Amino acid sequence: MSGLLRSPRLHLLLRLGLGAFFVYASLDKIWSPAAFARIVYQWQVVGPVPSNVVAATLPWIELLAGLLLVAGAWKREAALVVALLLVMFLLAAASVLARGIDVENCGCFSVAKPEAASAWAPAWTKGVGWFLVTRNLVLLGAAGVLAFLTPSRPTAGAADGVAALSAPRSESLPS
Amino acid sequence: MHREGACYFRDMPVDWKRLILILVTGAGAGLLWNAASGRGFALGRSVLVQTGDELVAAKDARALLDRGALFLDARPRDFWRMSRIPRALSLPEEDFDRALAQVEPRLRRASAIVVYCSGYGCEASLVVARKLRERGYAAAVLDEGLPAWQDAAGPMDSEPRP
Repeated sequence: MSGLLRSPRLHLLLRLGLGAFFVYASLDKIWSPAAFARIVYQWQVVGPVPSNVVAATLPWIELLAGLLLVAGAWKREAALVVALLLVMFLLAAASVLARGIDVENCGCFSVAKPEAASAWAPAWTKGVGWFLVTRNLVLLGAAGVLAFLTPSRPTAGAADGVAALSAPRSESLPS
Repeated sequence: MHREGACYFRDMPVDWKRLILILVTGAGAGLLWNAASGRGFALGRSVLVQTGDELVAAKDARALLDRGALFLDARPRDFWRMSRIPRALSLPEEDFDRALAQVEPRLRRASAIVVYCSGYGCEASLVVARKLRERGYAAAVLDEGLPAWQDAAGPMDSEPRP
């Protein structure tokens, strides 16, 4: 298992997938910061003025971390930033669920009103609920692999898992 | 060989300066974009509040309740049925025109009107107050809604209503 999680191919896949996900997630929010602020208000976590600061800054941190992951630069630090964001989202979602607040559009991708936002997606994928929590846990797992596990050096003729098992830890690649 | 400024989780070098730089650069770019792009908004107040909206803090609203002000609940009626500020009438945003006809006699007699809903993320109280203003009724909005009211130890009537 450890060998699979250190597979360079898996790391490349996770890095590109997670990076693209966060770049895409940031774009609509960057384009419409006031609309995103309205959505952050609905979570009712930190009050209106701190919510404004979150709405103005969070999408740009998502964009920067996502671009760094896609580009393969500062991979571990970018993955750690993504992991921190996801932990923050999970705590906020837990707070929303515990208080029974109905957030129809989580603002994860689109700031459009729920009825206008991508009609093909069912409502339970847009709000704050167990789908969002599960998705964020999966993404957190991916970010954790990128942040905490060094990919093994590819070995000619060896499968990734075997290569991972044979790679000494002290020869880790710098990020 | 450990790099200066790096911290190691087992075999993992993490440069905390880089991590902080990502956070600071991202946040700085966001604030700059908000200030200079023409698409930004004022960070110091709620984006829901418009010019002409009158907000009343929970503490002052309690004093108004004691002086007999009329409170209007802009949440969906089912929420009002479950609990409400004492003596508040239901005037839900989504059923405004029909509900207004029921409460209008009380509006005419009210010394002051305060509209509330479920929190600072809720726009219904602002919308209802604006509609009332259009009809000639001066209505203030309870700033940050029911959570602020409850934080200020404002009383609630939890007797179910039909």
